[in-house]
Amino acid sequence: MSFLQLDHVSKHFGGLTVVDGVSLSADKGEFVVFVGPSGCGKSTLLRMIAGLEEISAGDVSIDGRVVTGVAPADRNVSMVFQSYALYPHMSVRENIAFGLKMAKTPKDQIETRIADAARILQIETLLDRKPRQLSGGQRQRVAIGRAIVRNPKLFLFDEPLSNLDAELRTQMRVEIAKLHRELGATMVYVTHDQIEAMTLADRIVVLRAGRVEQIGTPTELYDTPSSIFVAGFIGSPKMNFLAATITGQDSNGLRVGHPAFAGGEIHVRPTTNRPAPVGSAVTVGLRPEHLTLGGADPLLTLTVDFAENLGGATQLYATGPGGAAVVLMVPGRPPVTPGEVLAASLGAGQIHLFDGSGAAL
Amino acid sequence: MRHVGPGRVVHACGLLLVVVVALFPFYWMVASSLKQQTDLLASPPVWLFTPTLANYADIFADSHVMVAVLNSLLVASCTTALAVLIGTPAAYALARFEFRGKADLWFWFISNRFISPIVLALPVYLLARQVGLLNTRLVLILIDLTFNLPIVIWICTDQFRSIPPDIEQSARLEGADQFNIFWRIYLPLGLPGVAVSAIFAFIFSWNELLYSLVLITSQALKTAPVVATNFMSGYELPWGKIMATGTVIVLPVTIFALIVSRHMVRGLTMGATK
Repeated sequence: MSFLQLDHVSKHFGGLTVVDGVSLSADKGEFVVFVGPSGCGKSTLLRMIAGLEEISAGDVSIDGRVVTGVAPADRNVSMVFQSYALYPHMSVRENIAFGLKMAKTPKDQIETRIADAARILQIETLLDRKPRQLSGGQRQRVAIGRAIVRNPKLFLFDEPLSNLDAELRTQMRVEIAKLHRELGATMVYVTHDQIEAMTLADRIVVLRAGRVEQIGTPTELYDTPSSIFVAGFIGSPKMNFLAATITGQDSNGLRVGHPAFAGGEIHVRPTTNRPAPVGSAVTVGLRPEHLTLGGADPLLTLTVDFAENLGGATQLYATGPGGAAVVLMVPGRPPVTPGEVLAASLGAGQIHLFDGSGAAL
Repeated sequence: MRHVGPGRVVHACGLLLVVVVALFPFYWMVASSLKQQTDLLASPPVWLFTPTLANYADIFADSHVMVAVLNSLLVASCTTALAVLIGTPAAYALARFEFRGKADLWFWFISNRFISPIVLALPVYLLARQVGLLNTRLVLILIDLTFNLPIVIWICTDQFRSIPPDIEQSARLEGADQFNIFWRIYLPLGLPGVAVSAIFAFIFSWNELLYSLVLITSQALKTAPVVATNFMSGYELPWGKIMATGTVIVLPVTIFALIVSRHMVRGLTMGATK
């Protein structure tokens, strides 16, 4: 049986449904990331696992025990809040010791555990400071220290890095990944940042409007998104979408037409058995990093609007006939000028196809 | 050098006017307490005079004044302690819990201050007589508590509301029960607000005159403001003594307020900005 199990969990606020029948499971030691846009219900779902939010319907189980009606403190979970939620009037040491004191842990054990946590998080020198005397990154470490010192069954992280600057965020991301490896604990992590999701997760749960859109490993979500929403959410820069039409079908797959395609149409092999009748409207998805300039068998004919030099790579913004707006991420610094017409072909990856409802074909 | 515009001059004059209007009665009280009776009654008023401590010597020789100051201290301290003891948990409940009748309860606290105390003087007198509490310090403590508890609850509720709920939730997750959350988190974090409300409770109770006048007739139980008015009896108006007593009553509270004023301003502005 799974270590963490959510069984048709729902949350209603008055007439508003914030989480709608979510079912998922996580194995022991797994790092699961909930990702989705603002208001998709990911934080509410996490708080329901913690017990901080009442569950309107469904059940939550942790380590084989149904905890739906169990008080937060008795669920043996630790949570790191977005705001850190440190006690401002207590020193770092008192902050970390608070939960242990509440559990009436013997003093010598408290000291040992604080020392261990401080060593892991490299905050030994900060133990006697107040939270206001710490930088954002240090506060975050203290918040994590407070979580690990209790040896919980489950760690919950609610957008823990969103208050940090870009550099610190990258650094802390690596540290959280290391911590997960060292502790081997089960972690559930909420973020709206798909890079955090991709780099940290064993499995990602993409949420949209309170429902699970797709669950899978980062690679699965990137390579085979089940919907146009997931395809657009995972990957940076965002996948290019072209509104096209099915023009026919042959042994090479579906023929899809759009004025921007070299020759007016391309062949796409569907990955599902969903129906795709000729004449139906579809969306073609192309990842910017999969497109290359030139090539023997060009896919698109585009006019360059402008180019962004990122140092090691160049991000090209181009338009094509039929209202196509395409971004290309190409290595190096190709000598292109705005207004130049160029051909782009598929270098790696695949062409994604979505039907009128947004589901992958 | 910075240019001083006419707007700033008008502003400064306005402020000066407010300060003069606010402080002049206080100055007049202290100055009068240091004057002899002839200087006091002089018309036009005497601005330059030889100060005397005779009035202070007189009132301190009168044991009633000292007893009254001690009575006031006792009543105000007990009122303040009880108001904080009862008011802070109530404020915590109002700040953080949803329960039936919460809005009505809140309105009741506010409406307590709508009513002019004099309106209730007679009913309170009859009630106190009925239950045998006339001429006790307890009745003053209870009546002061009735008027001061809402102040403590208002200020503390607002203060507790400004404490991020994440902190409470974090404590709950770490196993803290309701009492520990209140005692270890809310009370220390809300201390500026608690201090401000305690100061207000103390000052209001210390200065309370009407109910002390109505409910206490025994000389030994009278509070300081009542004793100050007691000089106004018979055919004589010993202004010097009245003013000296007034100064003795006001001074401790003023000094107390000055010491804690930094705290007070912090408490009053806390929660105004995130």
